[in-house]
Formats: sequence, C-alpha cells, structure tokens
Amino acid sequence: MDAQQLIKEQVTSNPVVLYMKGTPQFPQCGFSATTVQILKACGVSTFLSVNVLENPEIRNGIKEYANWPTIPQLYVRGEFIGGCDIMREMYEDGELQKLLEGLVEPV
Amino acid sequence: MMHPEQVHTIIAAGLPCEHLQVIGDGHHFEALIVSADFVGKSRVQRQQRVNEILRGHFNSGELHALSMKTQTPEEWSAAHG
Repeated sequence: MDAQQLIKEQVTSNPVVLYMKGTPQFPQCGFSATTVQILKACGVSTFLSVNVLENPEIRNGIKEYANWPTIPQLYVRGEFIGGCDIMREMYEDGELQKLLEGLVEPV
Repeated sequence: MMHPEQVHTIIAAGLPCEHLQVIGDGHHFEALIVSADFVGKSRVQRQQRVNEILRGHFNSGELHALSMKTQTPEEWSAAHG
C-alpha cells in the first residue's frame, strides 16, 4: 500500500485522526502539543494519532494528501479540517466542539 | 532561515493585501493577512491560497512553520471597530 492509500485508509476508518510530531503524551513540536490540548478540551480523549517522525513516507505523503504543507493536520470523519491555527479559531468560535459532537466518549 | 521581511515580500507579491503583518524568529512565523481575495473562502481555502504562494519555501525546508490569521477586510473592520 502506498502512502496515499494508507492515509486514506486511516482517515476513513477512524472518526478522528491527528497527524502530529511525537505522541499525545510526548509531543515533539509546540503546534502538535497545542492541537492535542484542543482535542482534549473538546472532550475527545481517544483518537488515532500518527507520529509522522516515525514514518517519513506518511510525513511527506500527508502534505500532498490535503495539499497542506505543514503538520499537525486534523481529519474528522475522513475530511481534512485544518492545522493548528484553524483548530484554535474553530475552538474559540465553538465550531470545533460542534463538529466533534457525537464523537465524544461519555465520561 | 528566512527573514520576516522576506516572507512579507513574497506574500505581498502573490496576494493583494489590505493589511499584512509578519513576525518571526527565522523559523517560526506569524502572519496577519487581510485580503479581499478571502471573501467567500473557507479557512482551509484561505490558508491554502497563502501556502501555495510559499510552496517552494516550505518544500525546501527553509520555512518551517507559518501561523496565520486570515481575514477579509470586512472581518478585519468588525474586529477593529
């Protein structure tokens, strides 16, 4: 499976996917850390996180997939939502919470 | 390594901006971009428009991260009364 197919498989078979540098526990980049915090603040505690630093093919492939040159990248229900700035703006406007409604696990 | 002024010049050359402000430390940059070109475009489409202008610099690794706030002139006036 090439990188594009693998990414498609990941984003369509998982409701929330975050491509990031490092892991949610140990983010390796400030922007990636922020996006994890935003997802948590929205009540999303389990999501697929893909550490691009461990997979160079995905690291390059993901930039082509959504025609987006930077990481982190968030996908919800297979759709590219944006990077850190967009997640922050959507969170501040309450849009991200709405988008993630129904994907939040009961506490 | 790029200078914020270089990033400013490149964006300004590729997109007509009402307001454009770029700050940064050479690797990470922050930009406020106000352009009539953003009218009717989603947040993703607006950033894609700017990313397209800077594509070569992202691909070469010269530009690592650009944090953007993208607004239309109307959104900008509403926020700045």
